[in-house]
Parts: sequence; C-alpha cells; structure tokens
Amino acid sequence: MNDAVLHAEVVVLGGGPGGYSAAFRAADLGKQVVLIERYPVLGGVCLNVGCIPSKALLHAAQIIHEVDEFEQHGISYGKPTLDLDKIRGWKESITKTLNEGLAGLVKQRKVTLIQGTGKFTSPDTLSVQTETGVTTIRFDQAIIAAGSHPTKIPIFPHDDPRLLDSTDALELKEIPKKLLIVGGGIIGLEMATVYHAFGSKISVVELMDQIIPGCDKDLVMPLFRRIKKQYNNIWLETRVTSIESHSDGLKVFFDGKGAPESELFDAVLVAVGRRPNGKLIDANLAGVNVDEQGFIAVDKQQRTNIGHIFAIGDIAGNPMLAHKAVHEGKVAAEVVAGHKSAFDALTIPSVAYTDPEITWMGLTENQAKQQGIEYDKAVFPWAASGRSLSLGRKEGLTKILCEKETGRLLGAGMVGPNAGELIAEAVLALEMGADAEDISLTIHPHPMLSETFGFAAEMITGTITDLYIKKQEL
Amino acid sequence: MTVLIEIKVPDVGNVAEIDVVEVLIQPGDVVALEQTVATLETDKASMDLPSSVAGTIQQVYIKPGDKVSEGSLIATVLASTEQAVVAEQAPAAATIADAPIAVSLPAMPVAPEPKAVESLQAPEVTTGKAHASPSVRLFARELGVDVAKIKTGSGRKGRILKDDVKNFVKKVLTDGVVAAGAGIPSIPAVDFTPFGETETLKLSKIKRLTGQNLTRVWLNLPMVTYHDEADITDLEAFRNALNGEKAKDELKITGLMFVIKALIAAMQQFPNFNASLSADGESLILKKYFNIGIAVDTPNGLVVPVLRNANSKSINELAVELAEKSEKARLGKLLPSDMQGGCLTVSSLGGIGGTAFTPIINAPEVAILGVTRAKMQPVWNGKEFVPRLMLPLDLTYDHRVIDGAEGARFMAAVKHYLADIRRLLL
Repeated sequence: MNDAVLHAEVVVLGGGPGGYSAAFRAADLGKQVVLIERYPVLGGVCLNVGCIPSKALLHAAQIIHEVDEFEQHGISYGKPTLDLDKIRGWKESITKTLNEGLAGLVKQRKVTLIQGTGKFTSPDTLSVQTETGVTTIRFDQAIIAAGSHPTKIPIFPHDDPRLLDSTDALELKEIPKKLLIVGGGIIGLEMATVYHAFGSKISVVELMDQIIPGCDKDLVMPLFRRIKKQYNNIWLETRVTSIESHSDGLKVFFDGKGAPESELFDAVLVAVGRRPNGKLIDANLAGVNVDEQGFIAVDKQQRTNIGHIFAIGDIAGNPMLAHKAVHEGKVAAEVVAGHKSAFDALTIPSVAYTDPEITWMGLTENQAKQQGIEYDKAVFPWAASGRSLSLGRKEGLTKILCEKETGRLLGAGMVGPNAGELIAEAVLALEMGADAEDISLTIHPHPMLSETFGFAAEMITGTITDLYIKKQEL
Repeated sequence: MTVLIEIKVPDVGNVAEIDVVEVLIQPGDVVALEQTVATLETDKASMDLPSSVAGTIQQVYIKPGDKVSEGSLIATVLASTEQAVVAEQAPAAATIADAPIAVSLPAMPVAPEPKAVESLQAPEVTTGKAHASPSVRLFARELGVDVAKIKTGSGRKGRILKDDVKNFVKKVLTDGVVAAGAGIPSIPAVDFTPFGETETLKLSKIKRLTGQNLTRVWLNLPMVTYHDEADITDLEAFRNALNGEKAKDELKITGLMFVIKALIAAMQQFPNFNASLSADGESLILKKYFNIGIAVDTPNGLVVPVLRNANSKSINELAVELAEKSEKARLGKLLPSDMQGGCLTVSSLGGIGGTAFTPIINAPEVAILGVTRAKMQPVWNGKEFVPRLMLPLDLTYDHRVIDGAEGARFMAAVKHYLADIRRLLL
C-alpha cells in the first residue's frame, strides 16, 4: 500500500508517555486520532529504555545492598550470585507487560497506530516511512511528541561497543570490571548504582563542582558521602578530553583537579544529557520554528508558532521528564479538543533514584538566594526518625523552604531511602498554597518516612518536639 | 548642578491597575532622553514608557509583576539641571537642587499586537502568588479569569474558592463595560492616530445608560422584526379634515395618536403583547393597564416618556400629554416616574423618513412598534392600481413570548384598525 493517504483530526507524532497520553486524552474527548511511533512498541524512552527498566534494575541493586548491609545486624545469605539472563528477562517482562497494556488501551480507544518514522511535508501533512511503504497523513491538528536522544560527544569512539549510552547500559549485556560514568547527573548516577551493585568498580567524572548539578548541595551530600566510599573515584570539575580504544580497554584522558592524566576502563558510560529531536522531523516544512538545540518553543497551551501544531515533552523544553511530558500531553489534547486548558503547574518535581534517593520540588535554596527571596529553612535529620533507623539508614534529610513573611511553602527536598515517594505531598502542598502551619497541623502517620515532612514544617512553626532546638536569645 | 527627578506613571486613561511587564533600568544606569524605561500593560494595551529626562537612575521602585496606577513612582533619576529643563513638562522648580520633582512621562499607547505564539482560546492567566488550588485555577481559566486579580478569597487564610471566581465574574459583569458579556470577546482597542486626526468626546450619561440597556437586551432577547404596511389613506383624510377644523393655535393631531389607539385595541385583542416575562423565564405576567411609551429624540440622547392609561384617554388628551412630555424631555426635565411603567413602546421616525428598520425592544416589554414615513403607493385593488397612502410598520417582538403567527396576526389587527378607525369604536 504505497502512498496511502490517511486523514486524521489529530495526529500525534511519537508514542512515548507524553505522546500516548495526548493521543488517549484527545480520543477520549471525541477526536479521531492517529498515533505515529517509530518503534514496534509504545512507551518511548521511559518505558523501554528509561524510567521503567532502570527502576527494575535499581530494585535489584537495592536488594543486593540491603542484604549486604544487613550482614552486620545478624542476617547473612553469603555472596550473591547473579544470573544476568534471568535478571534481563525479568526486566524485559515488566516492560512487555506495560507494552501490552498500552497496546490494549490503543485498541479500546480506537486510536489508529502507525509504526514508522514520521516527518512533516507541509503545515498539514506528514509522511510516515513504514515497513510496507510511505503513508501520507493529512491532519487538522498535530501534536509533536518526538522526544529526545542521548547526547553524543563527537570525539568519542562511538563505534566501540565498550562505549555505552544509557540505552546500552540498560541492556545489561555484561558487567564490566571497571566502569567509568561520564556525567554525574541523575541518569549517570542511577546507572552507577546498578552496576556498582552488580559488581563493577565505578568511577564518576563530572564537569561541575557537585554531582546532580541543579539540586541544593546539602541534599546531594548524603549521597555523595556514601558513594565516595563505595566507588573508586568521583572526579568533580573534571573534563574528559579524549577516549582511545585499546585492545585491553578504553583509555580515558582527563583534565581537572584530582583526576589522573589518563586511566584504562573496561567500559565507559556517557550520560551527559539528552538532545531534543526537533531537527529530525522536518518541522521546518510545516513552518514550525526549531531552535539551535532542537527545541520547539510553545506557549502555555503547548502551541507552537503554527496555530494548529502543538509540541510537548522533551522536544518542547527542559526538564526532560516523563511526568512533565504526560501533563503537557493532556494539556495539548484538551486544547486541541477546544478546552481552555493550559500548563499551569507551579512546579515539576525531580527525583534521582539513586541510593539514597534525592528529590526536590519548587524553589531550591540556590534559586531563592539568586532571586533574593527571603525564606525560612528547616532541615529535619532522618537520624531522628525511628523509621529511617529501623531501615538501617540515618543519612537522610528533609528540607523545606517557606516564605519568611507568610510561612507559605516555597520549596522542599528530601534525601534518603525511598525519599522519592515523599515528594508528592510537598508538590500537593505547594499547588494548594499550603503554609508551614497547614503542613505541621496535618497528622502524619507514625512511624513513617513521610512524617519527616511534617517534622520539618514543625521546625518552621516552632512546634516540634521530636528535636530540641534551643530558642534564639531575644 | 544636579536634581533628583521622580518618574511617575502618567495618566493612561481610566485604568485602575496597570501591570508592570518589564523593567529595563536599574540603579546606576544612564538613560537617554526618550529611552524606554519600562513596559506597562493594561487589559487593553501595552505601552513603553520613554524617559523624558536624561540622567542616571538613582533608584527603581517597581519590578515586573507589580501593579501600579496613575502617579505610582517608577524611579528617581539624577539629572543635571540643563537636562532636567529639557524634560517635557518639567516644572520651573526643576532648578531647585536635589528636590524631588515629579515629571509626568508621556505615555505612548501601542495597540495590542497579537504575539506570534498566543493562545486564541484562553487568556494568559497568571497564577502568580494567588492562593488558589489547581482545580480553582482551572475553573478560573475556563471562565477567562485571572486569579491574580481576585484580591482575597473567602476560604481559610484567604484561599480563593470557586465561589470567589464566580462572584468575581458576576461583579465584572455588573460593574463592567457594556461589552463584557460572559464569553463574548470584547472589541480590541485601536489606535486611530496613524490614520488621521481624531477627537474624543465623552458620551452623555443618557447615551451610556441607554447603551448598556440596549446591549443587555440585544444579548438576552431573541428578537424578530416583522414588517408590513397599513393603508392610512382614509385615516389621513380624516386627520387633515380634523386639523382643518382646529383654530390656528390649537394643537394639531399627529398620525401617531391614531397608531397608539390602534395599538391599544390590538393589545386588548392579543393580551400576550401587554405582558412581561418573569425574571426566571418561567411565567408570563399579563398587564391589565395600557401604558404606551413613545421614544423621543433629545439633544442628550434617546428617552422614552410613558403615556399612562392611554386606553382611557381621548386622542386630544393624548396629543396634549405627549407634547408636554416631549418638551420636558428636550429640556431634560423628565422625572424617572415619567418614564416608568410602559407596556409597549412606539418608535416613530415618520417625521424624518425611512422605509423600514428593526427597533430594539425596551425590555421587559415584549414588543416595540417602529413607524417610518407614509408614502403614496400604487395598490392593486383586484382590477386596477389605485393610489393609496401606505404607512410602513415594523414590529419587533420577543420570540420567547410571541410566536411568528401571533406577531403577524397582531400586525394585521393594527393595520385593520388603522385602515378604518371607525372599528376602534366597536
């Protein structure tokens, strides 16, 4: 069926979390939807080579760590043995379950799914290169959800299979003895956590002066202190100048304080961020503006400079997070269906699924200082949480920032095991305009890690009894 | 010698709140004459404020997101005295060293220019620091309300609730300008100056009130206008004869008096025309009295004096009463009570001309009769064309109350009475 022509009221380009959410929402609002996905399965990076498989492996890593650490408290199983094929199979079964779930949702909603690579050919047509030929789609409105890809550094030997990106690393082909992670951001550190648990000796190199740049340093420190002990090296303010392929490994050259001139690794994982796919879809033929980096600018309704074309998710701007893409996808679908929706969220929470986990939302302390906002800060140490201690951990922190004058919550962050599960309450509190008193007067169940958010608020309101804070001299 | 000059927000028209969109200066900046110092925005236009004085910015008192109004302090500028004198409207006192002197900046309104990427369906709604939950923000967005404009909410700690958004909308609708109907886009402001010279005149109060009332009617009533012609050849012959009998200084009878009488007779026959719809639209209130409003053109605008109990007054009495009320209207001496209680209104342009028009109902009345100039016309009587004096009539009725057929029958009755006014005796 060459050159088939299909009409779509709404075409969605890209079947990641943002794309399928947009397609489903638009279909639920009565639109006839065509969804284009280049891979045979839906779910995009998140489900297939991102959030979900990495969380599966991180859970495996956590079990290894917990078992290992519990030896000193009286339970020992001996050294774990890994069956990589089985672990991989388990990881893939999770992805497959979710893939099938999505395929079912597509059918139930009568969304037309076309597998192939879509590119714009005009402001109201797309052509899709499918296995069987080219399909032309004439659309009334379009939602671009074409995502991003891992940034490649041109001078690195990308032909060498020992140079990995996050997708390769998740395939879990083998466990290198010595692994270098280039990039101390969330993705790099999550993969470091996994491979460390599976037995690799890890080194991390980061350009900035702290790991997870963008997060407040006090929240990063507990993770930093822990992995500093676990890993071979963490080189900050250091640049990788080149990588050479040798038969016995990859020779990596560094430039930075404390780093050696060069060192040999069995594998190198490059996790230096992601690039939007804006330049890969011929958006210019539709008249859609794409900037230098490949981002497509949108307004609060996710509309591009072309009124009937929308963009969401990674391609529409940072942060490149699935939960942001999903929210934007729903906004775009609702606007397409004539609703007065807009992206109006006050914050997009971030979570690093490292061990310990780090999470934050709203204003960071760094931002508050930069913007000259007067704030009150409280940091509750998890060393005073019975729940944390009973998990065998005491390094965690829960921090909140409140407006000085009104006590209204401005930002919050947590670090510690399972900290990521705690942030949603803070996001809700922020969206609802809660102040420290609202939070401290809300009963938090005991003994839970979530209690620490209430304790931090009590520190602001001066009502905490779980700590003794000496009153300031008047 | 230097002076400290205050830059203030100039008079930008009747706008209570002006948003500061952008501040382009900071302390220490050297500004030139006419350099833009800030961008302000009202709901109608954005404007660049040029500095009317050259100098060094001493202090800036605004930041983006602030709300200012006429006279709010924007910044202080340290200017040399020569420069301060150059400043437009700078008072002579500018020579007093280091004394703060207010300089009004000429505002340069820029007609709002649609941004390339701008939503057409929902206004940019800034949540800002408003204390409102996501669901309330969504609700506000659907109604096109900027929650930041709702000063205090009625919820705990001033939280804005859905009811606050509703009340805000109600308030805007009742206080607001005529065009602010719910969901009805207002007509954007246009800067006419590029096209030529203009002059702005304030509307009279009557015109403004009439405008509000007419817009309300236009938006609320499904109106139908039905056109017909009445044969008044015989009526006119009688009227001329009648006026011929009158002494020179005696008040002459106009055709309008007969129209009023014919109208009353038709209203008695069709009581739905002497009625009002209840406010909830659930029932019809039939009136047992016959008060007829007459639209009168005055130098200040349109007014509608009411002839009360017109059914029990003679044509001569009505003629005298209308003459008196019209005179009072022109002198602006009509009392509110003179204009209340109408059942149906007549708007006659007969003295000026016209063939037909579509008058707007004076709600809560349910109909209005428009009259234009009678014309001698050839009318086919079955055998030949005969010259007949035909009076064009335009009946606008509220379709919620009056059906099309009923409207046509009512008009037929009016015509019937006018064609032979002896029928009014029956």
